[in-house]
Amino acid sequence: MSRLEAKKPSICRSDPLTGERARASLAALKGLVMSCYGPAGRLKQLHNGRGGSVVTTSQSAALLAGLPVSHPVLKVLTAAVRNHVACFSDGGLFTAILCCNLVENVQRLGLAPTTVIKLNKHLLSLCTSYLKSEDCACRIPVDFSSTQILLSLVRSILTSKPACMLIAKEVDHISTLILRAFLLTIPENAQEHIILGKSIIVPLKGQRVIDSAVLPGILIEVSEVQLMKILPIKKSDSFKVALFCVSLSGDLSDTGEGTLLVSYGVSLENAALDQLFNLGKQLVSDHVDLVLCQKVIHPSLKQFLRTHHVIAVDRIGVSLMEPLSKVTGTWPIGSLGSISPSSYGSVKDLCIAKFGCKHFFHLIPNKTTICSLLLCNRNDTAWDELKLTCQTALHALQLTIKDPYVLLGGGCTETHLVAYIRHKTRNEPESVLRDERCSQTELQLITEAFCSALESLAGSLEHDGGEILTDSKYGHFWSVQANLPSAVNWPDLPSRCGCGLYSSQEELSWSFLRSARHPFPPQTCLSREATGSADTLTLDCFTAKLSGLQVAVETASLILDLSCVIEDTN
Amino acid sequence: MAAAGSVTVALHVAEVLETIVSGCLGPEGRQVLCTKPTGEVLLSRDGGCLLKALHLEHPVARVMVACVSSHLRKTGDGAKTFIIFLCHLLRGLREITDKEKDSFLFENIQTCGRHWKNCCRWKFISQAFLTFQTQILDYVMDHYLSRHFLSIFSSCTKERTLCRSSLEMLLGAYFCGRVGRNNHSLMSQLMCDYVFKCTACESRFEEVLELVDDCFVELKVGVTGLPVSDSRIIAGLVLQRDFSVYCPADGDIRIVIVTETIQPLFSISGSEFPLNSEAQFQTSQFWITERTKAIVKHLQNQNVKLLLSTVKQPDLVIYCAGLNGISVVECLSSEELSLIQRVIGLAPFVLPEASSQYELSHTALAKFCKPLILRSKRFVHLGLMSTCSFAPHCIALCAPVQGLVEQHENALHGAFKMLRQAFKDLDLNCVTQTSDQSCTSGPCIYKNSRESNELPKIVNSSIQRSYQDTVVKNKGELAKTQTNLKVCSNLIVPSVKLEQNVLCSTPKVAVTDSYQTDETLRCSSPNKGRIMDDHEPFIESNSANSKPENTRREISYENLQVAKLARKDSILPLRYKSLETCTSQSYYSSSIPAGCVLPVGGNFEILLHYYLLNYAKKCQQSEQTMVSRIIANAILGVPKILYKSKKGNYSFPQVYVRALQALQTNQPMISNQTGLESVAGKYQLLTSVLQCLTNILTVDLVISIKRQPQEVYDQDSEEEL
Repeated sequence: MSRLEAKKPSICRSDPLTGERARASLAALKGLVMSCYGPAGRLKQLHNGRGGSVVTTSQSAALLAGLPVSHPVLKVLTAAVRNHVACFSDGGLFTAILCCNLVENVQRLGLAPTTVIKLNKHLLSLCTSYLKSEDCACRIPVDFSSTQILLSLVRSILTSKPACMLIAKEVDHISTLILRAFLLTIPENAQEHIILGKSIIVPLKGQRVIDSAVLPGILIEVSEVQLMKILPIKKSDSFKVALFCVSLSGDLSDTGEGTLLVSYGVSLENAALDQLFNLGKQLVSDHVDLVLCQKVIHPSLKQFLRTHHVIAVDRIGVSLMEPLSKVTGTWPIGSLGSISPSSYGSVKDLCIAKFGCKHFFHLIPNKTTICSLLLCNRNDTAWDELKLTCQTALHALQLTIKDPYVLLGGGCTETHLVAYIRHKTRNEPESVLRDERCSQTELQLITEAFCSALESLAGSLEHDGGEILTDSKYGHFWSVQANLPSAVNWPDLPSRCGCGLYSSQEELSWSFLRSARHPFPPQTCLSREATGSADTLTLDCFTAKLSGLQVAVETASLILDLSCVIEDTN
Repeated sequence: MAAAGSVTVALHVAEVLETIVSGCLGPEGRQVLCTKPTGEVLLSRDGGCLLKALHLEHPVARVMVACVSSHLRKTGDGAKTFIIFLCHLLRGLREITDKEKDSFLFENIQTCGRHWKNCCRWKFISQAFLTFQTQILDYVMDHYLSRHFLSIFSSCTKERTLCRSSLEMLLGAYFCGRVGRNNHSLMSQLMCDYVFKCTACESRFEEVLELVDDCFVELKVGVTGLPVSDSRIIAGLVLQRDFSVYCPADGDIRIVIVTETIQPLFSISGSEFPLNSEAQFQTSQFWITERTKAIVKHLQNQNVKLLLSTVKQPDLVIYCAGLNGISVVECLSSEELSLIQRVIGLAPFVLPEASSQYELSHTALAKFCKPLILRSKRFVHLGLMSTCSFAPHCIALCAPVQGLVEQHENALHGAFKMLRQAFKDLDLNCVTQTSDQSCTSGPCIYKNSRESNELPKIVNSSIQRSYQDTVVKNKGELAKTQTNLKVCSNLIVPSVKLEQNVLCSTPKVAVTDSYQTDETLRCSSPNKGRIMDDHEPFIESNSANSKPENTRREISYENLQVAKLARKDSILPLRYKSLETCTSQSYYSSSIPAGCVLPVGGNFEILLHYYLLNYAKKCQQSEQTMVSRIIANAILGVPKILYKSKKGNYSFPQVYVRALQALQTNQPMISNQTGLESVAGKYQLLTSVLQCLTNILTVDLVISIKRQPQEVYDQDSEEEL
């Protein structure tokens, strides 16, 4: 049915950023994402008055997915953040806050967009080339001979999501589980081209977090009724498995587009069932121990198989098919006729396990890279948040394998970068001015806007009204409690910087983060001893953060470049 | 609606559109955000896109949008310039009509009698524009502008080869107007690399451009969530779906394409399959299974490793293929299939009627075939061995948001269209007439200056020569000149041209007529004797023509050769030194050669402006002068906007004055911008705008119909039935 109405003309608005409405909605979004950021971030509760579950979260993925955005400029921003999260899982709030800050700061300056965009791009390339360079002091190469750095990375990700509701002990437990699950997916004899396996997260809600576990192989959930029918498993050191992707329910598969003329008294169902029994006989004669089917197995065939001591499990679903075929080494069988013996696979052991109130059928493989992460949490919302966090952590570990570096977390990377950029543009502005054809003042203004965007990003880690300081040697992030009497000599107070790399034992001079300071060259070239000494660091995924930085600056440039908005109101 | 208002109304509309569009023009242009009713956002700097997104209701605006989109379909570029130019033209028209309400076009008053109407006046103006577009524009392009053209091809050899640096400049200038300003250089670099990587054989790049333009949708992969700088070129073909079965294989991979299911069906549509017993059902199923297995086995025996299917294959086929080590990709779209067929020249595999003794003739080879993971999505990555001039490559376009990916896709697609146009020879139509005009206007002016009486002799001698020509030849030309005559008479061109055309066709008439010409010329001899420089080259050319005792055919043959040489001669800059002599003889086809470019930054506009004004000064008829002036002034609107933000030495008046000085002293124009634009594109834009303008001007009444458009559609379909 085509539309009968003629299309309404669109609404065209020029300068979408200058209006009061735009500023207000940008500020609202910024306040929202800033308050969620970091381990001390506040939680948001999303609920729809018309129904659906209530989501309690502080993660950008869940937050932005449920948040309706009406302003077109914000649509661009949130879409960029969501796409970033879909790619890297981590760093969504970082990207969102930085982008909001940049747009706001630059908007306040009122410079020509051309200059702003050119210089922002230049500053970005300054940042990325520094972060990628060898003498970057906020990047740590990952030492795969110990688990320390990887564990710190996972811990940092877990602690930055307060909506998971974990206590310190649980954080330790879950982070070791995640790391174990990840290590199980790495093939043992790796060639130059590593294909990682998969960790399947199995939900178990309403249990204690401590009950979570990692198991090699696959867990297939079975109901109690099904369980009754499965016979006690005989002891053996290997089980032969057949995996079907066609339905074994005995229905007639597609018979073509023509018509079938069936004579009276001819029962096609019986014919199909006969065919199934033939198949069953073949399976039995091939000494198959376990029959798995993606779809449904006909009850008669099930009965037949049971009488021949073959275990049959059906309705597995398409999502488990690929891991199953990998674990067992089978080809999914798509034929009801003769089966080639080469399509059978095997597992090392089978058992029935009970976790909480659920029964699982556990397939233990000989040697594969598939494992199951049995994840427990007290309630649904917390479980959802924990699951998302685990996926983020696993993804971050995968990215770290690809690019074996981590960045210092806890705001230290940001403050360090700020110090570096300030110093660089103050001391070597000639190249920029020559290449980009802009004045010294413009460069100073934009640099200040860029740096204060990064600083305010770091500052949003502090939610309890504390003060933020930065030292003038490393350019790291130090947080002190609020409401201290001014008489106290506060530089003595912070014990460790945001990432935990440096302690206040050293002779350092501090200043307030957003105060006017003289630019100083931050110490580059991270020493190996420094990273080795500290045992618990706060770390960020390198790839995700780098890409987040790029996406934030690019999106901000895009938004600042808008001259008008055409809204289609149909 | 009164016709008098139509220019004013059209101007209002065009001005509104201009304000939207001019913000996106040129390297300083900004982006526009379009939201769709579905909630998606699209970023765009593409004029055509914006105009469509506006969903305009005004009838005049809709005419304009329709004209723009038809222009875009042809050339892929220039929508914004279109609107701006149109707006300036309308502005110029209104100024003139405001100033001199009825002082011009006295002939029109005569033709229309005492009570001429506005619509009549507009009709004449629009006709004047049409005359300009079909005759004067081509003449000016050919005679004056062409000496400034540069060529994009690098060498002067017969084979046209692409010059990388000039291609980069051309693309750079294009992307400056189409994508966000921090991505210009990246995109043009990407596209340039792409063109060179895809071109297997240097001289056949045109085929490559054609193929890429046709199949662009299949040759790009959009990836959201990554920074734009991660965009890259992928060697081989990427199909936007996953393998149904993937069996790793080394070495060269044989490919087979199927367009139907390999498993035989129980019954085909329109037929009946009687089942009489259960055993029959089972045997037929058994037969189907066995047959499928046999076919797949046969494919394996022929060493086929990859099966590309346009339809979904049953589970059984997938299973058998997997067992036999054949990878399967299902559900290829017809566009993908046609692309693959164009690249490897492979016809679909026809299922053998009899079993297996069947040699596979339709196979092709691929270097590799593997899954490709982009942003955790899996794609099929094929390294096809191309049998044509196109070496398959794909572009992965990355951007933070989908809207930006789409913008880049559109810009790239438009760029391929633009390149295709730029590398085509563009025939300047009606050049024969215009060159005749040049002949006549030459003597015309010459005579006016009252310097000598040689001219009639020359004219006479040429008449005599043409008298000596064979009659056969004249007959051949007769048809053409008659059409010319028709055109000329329609357009109310003064008699001089008419007669000159006749002069070519039949000598007898020509002799008598030419006397008349002389007389008319004498009668109408204007008092200005200003064009003093022009007679020297004219005498030269004419004497050159009359000197040898050649027949005219030979001369024109020579001219053809000259033209050909000039076309092949692609040294930068490409000049038409011999143009004067060429065009003084009548029949040869003139064209803008393929790959003609000019530097960006309003060079074309200023050049055309300058020569049109010059032409207007020389021109006798008031309409033509007026039209040329209007167009010459209107065309400056585009560079004015381009230079709006520049200050000091780079401001528009400065640039303009410098360019004019350079032109007057015959020095090369210096452009401070690096970048080139295609002349053909500019020329086509100009003609499209003029056609649009005549469209708007000739309408005298807009009838609004309140009926549902659906009904009209229904009526149409009934008629078809």
